[in-house]
Amino acid sequence: MRQTPIGNPIRRVDAVAKAAGTLKYVADYHFDDMLYAKMVRSAVPRGKILSIDLPDLPTGYYFISHKDIPEGGKNQLQMIKSDYKCFAENEVRFIGETIGLLVGPDRGELEELLSKVDISYETQPYSVTIEEGLECKGGPFVGDDNLFCDFTIDKGDVDKVFKNADRIFEDEIRTGWQEHVHLETNGAVALCEGDKFVIYVSAQCPFYVRKSIAGLINRPYEDVIVRQTATGGAFGGKEHFPDVLAGPLLVATYTIGKPVQLIFDRFEDSAYSVKRHPSRTRFKTAVDDKGNIIAMDIDVVYNAGGYESCSYVVLQRGVFHATGVYNIPNSRVRGRAVATNTFPSDAFRGFGAPQTLFAVETHLNHIADSLHIDPLELKRRHFLKKGDVTVTNGHINENVVLPEMLQQVLDQSGYPEKVRTYEKGSYKGIGISFYNHGGAFTGNGEQMIIKAKVRLKKNRNGTVDLLIGSTEMGQGLQTALIKIVADALQIDPKYVRYPNPDTSKVADSGPTVASRSTMIVGKIAERAALSLKERWNESDELTVEEEYEHPEGFPWDQATFQGDAYIGYGWGACVVEVEVDPLTFEVNTTGIWSSHDVGVAIDELVVHGQVNGGIIQSLGYAAMEKLDFSQKTGFKQVGLSDYIIPTSMDFPSQRCTLVENPYEYGPSGAKGMGELVFNGASAAYVDAVSRAVNRPIYSIPIPPETITELIS
Amino acid sequence: MVESCYIPKDLKEALRIRKETQARPLAGGTDLMVVHRRGTGVVPSFPWPVMIVSRLPQLQGIFTDGNEIVIRSLVTCSEIEKNDDVPYQVRKAASLLGAHSLRNLATIGGNICNASPKGDLPVPLIMMDAKVVLLSATGKRILPLDEFITGPKKTALHSDEILTEIRIPVPTVPYSHIWYRKIGTRKANAISKLSMSAAITFSQERIVTDFRSANGASGPKVARSREVEQILIGTHAREIANKIPEILSAYDAILSPHAMPEYRRSSTRRMLHYFLTKAASEDCERIII
Repeated sequence: MRQTPIGNPIRRVDAVAKAAGTLKYVADYHFDDMLYAKMVRSAVPRGKILSIDLPDLPTGYYFISHKDIPEGGKNQLQMIKSDYKCFAENEVRFIGETIGLLVGPDRGELEELLSKVDISYETQPYSVTIEEGLECKGGPFVGDDNLFCDFTIDKGDVDKVFKNADRIFEDEIRTGWQEHVHLETNGAVALCEGDKFVIYVSAQCPFYVRKSIAGLINRPYEDVIVRQTATGGAFGGKEHFPDVLAGPLLVATYTIGKPVQLIFDRFEDSAYSVKRHPSRTRFKTAVDDKGNIIAMDIDVVYNAGGYESCSYVVLQRGVFHATGVYNIPNSRVRGRAVATNTFPSDAFRGFGAPQTLFAVETHLNHIADSLHIDPLELKRRHFLKKGDVTVTNGHINENVVLPEMLQQVLDQSGYPEKVRTYEKGSYKGIGISFYNHGGAFTGNGEQMIIKAKVRLKKNRNGTVDLLIGSTEMGQGLQTALIKIVADALQIDPKYVRYPNPDTSKVADSGPTVASRSTMIVGKIAERAALSLKERWNESDELTVEEEYEHPEGFPWDQATFQGDAYIGYGWGACVVEVEVDPLTFEVNTTGIWSSHDVGVAIDELVVHGQVNGGIIQSLGYAAMEKLDFSQKTGFKQVGLSDYIIPTSMDFPSQRCTLVENPYEYGPSGAKGMGELVFNGASAAYVDAVSRAVNRPIYSIPIPPETITELIS
Repeated sequence: MVESCYIPKDLKEALRIRKETQARPLAGGTDLMVVHRRGTGVVPSFPWPVMIVSRLPQLQGIFTDGNEIVIRSLVTCSEIEKNDDVPYQVRKAASLLGAHSLRNLATIGGNICNASPKGDLPVPLIMMDAKVVLLSATGKRILPLDEFITGPKKTALHSDEILTEIRIPVPTVPYSHIWYRKIGTRKANAISKLSMSAAITFSQERIVTDFRSANGASGPKVARSREVEQILIGTHAREIANKIPEILSAYDAILSPHAMPEYRRSSTRRMLHYFLTKAASEDCERIII
């Protein structure tokens, strides 16, 4: 029997090194003869490269481009899709696209040389917005319609129900770009080790990097060893994007034979990196004479930027979350990812779900307004529960504890009383939102695509090594997985070691994405630990390996997107209270209350940290994080004085609670939660502001100048 | 690459170097080092010679001289923020500038000579008719700050001069009511979207004897108009309400915001309306918030 509940917090295993500043990040790695690299990037959003004029390169300086890719190598980065080019060849699709690397021993000299590289383009009309992409402004550059993907899922009979509807509500909700702003900027070092190539990189998914770049030099995956360095934050921005650094570096080190380092400064990391997909979601919603929603016809479009990368998968998650936490008897959701001449959109905490969840919550608020009822009344009437049919005609397979979570946030926030006392337009407002997040890869992806493995090694001294590709990036995974293994082995967590992965030494437990690592990898680790415990006395040294096992009875058809898109969901409820300054329309947030169902918390303090960070990031997304296109730098708000993220002064301390709801297939009952906590606060904030100023809101972000426009 | 960098021992040497080389003074470096950065691991490169003046003892200190508060040019925002002799609005502006670490380095001289349209300190200083003292090896000039800053990133500083002092006249009759508001991009560590500093003085008979208001981030330089202010002088408190529409439209005409014009204009109108209405009412605090 366990002595203490697993949820009791322990000191994070990475706490001391991070607080003391002794941890080594990728920029701290130095090797003999190491050269530095600077990226030569496209300066135009769309065009043909006519010529590249280089200054005279001093001895020891190199220009690396697609011409250096060896015979048999392919100029592509193999992300989910393989369309992202390592180096632009003839055409460029967006500002900041990699054209080449300048490599040499002195960074000042490289800077000087970079300013003298002269590239001439034949520019073409380009598209920036979703509408321009759909209209194929300047002619399509992806297929004949600029669409990376276009699919529709149906539940029930939407057309028939619309004919009998009492009222129909139409709406259009938009969300903007968002930049990850991980504390540590992107960086990597490539070098040769014997006949192999080694990449040191700040990344979420070392095995993804290996797979993505080995083909550039026409080598098997095993010839490229990826070592994850301590990663100072990622938020999805280091899921595929590290490939964009590692690929050119691999070609450089292959060509030159020396170690090469590329570290982005904050300006580069902010201007020339992937972003969250901007979205446009259109609703047509049928309501019956009792005020119940009977059908929704939803059209979702995501702005994917210049390359597809993982946009199809991001869009799938957006589509599958488009009716939120509600049981809508009939629904049709169409999803499209459109190509535009902007920096590619990619993974970002929530992975497509935050956009549609914001949209559906805000749309329901608008309907409730028209029906003259509180949004809460409309929403709770439609809460999903166990056994309900999902938008993909699968089922909710778990107990849904939304009513209990709702009760917690109502009690703590005083929502009912405040709704009564704060008149609309009184510059005081309170808002509420509900959200969920399907844990792990969609459908049977864990079984068919990922096939995760976990290796545990018992050492002579009795310590145990957890050898997996999953990564710590600040989210607390090392602490969580060490606790799970120690708990199963019934040993002190200090005897379990979990080093940063090296792809030549650890099992591929899959990418550290999709809120899957505690839930899926943790479960395999738990099984591996139990099996090691059973065999503990067999030998002084012992290695066990376990593989993912898919629970029986959850059908999924990836071709038609029918069935159980997710086996287990995390759930959330959030209340936000605001006061709007009547002179300046600055918003002062006066209260934040949330309740989450994460199954069972593996470490309550880690969960608390994730809830706090996720909610603040979501509030920043709604309130201030604005990105506009710029013809000069790609984005107008570049760097931390122009791209505004919240400080600790901007939002008050939060009250967050959990409702325990053990998940059958997770370790100690845990489910995923890292993304869930981002998914909903933005809608609660916008609801609160909307009530405070008595105006409907259709898009985020809403800085004070936007609120002024709403009012005047 | 820094072509030439001087570190003068005292003001006299600094003035000599300035005259001979036109080296530009670098104090806290919080603007210059950022503008001229060249990326990770490389020192900034300046297109002209610089001299690091941050340690010059003759340019430190805050003191009172007759009816003026004198702030020497190397005084940092943190020092201003904490000094009781400095007028409230200047202290407030200093306290809201950037982050702690920046305020420990950034100097009043730098904030003025950088002449950013969004600069925080010039707004209350110009409202209070502050003057700047410009010293060279051969002489001394004193200019109103409003004339010293000529446009965005432009000043009247001669190539042999160093800004040594900022002199703030203390009004003989204290302001009856004062106002300072900075609207930043967020609550801390923020650049101004708009800032406004205003003051009003009533006689015992409740007649306006002084009224002044200045706006930051509302045009190429700090916006202030003595003609507009004149409209209110001689007005009785109970007549202020009647004059507000005229004041607001006249004040609006002096603003020329480049970006977000609607937001900057309408917020200014609401703030000015609020300040004057509050000040005209009988029982009101001196510092209006």
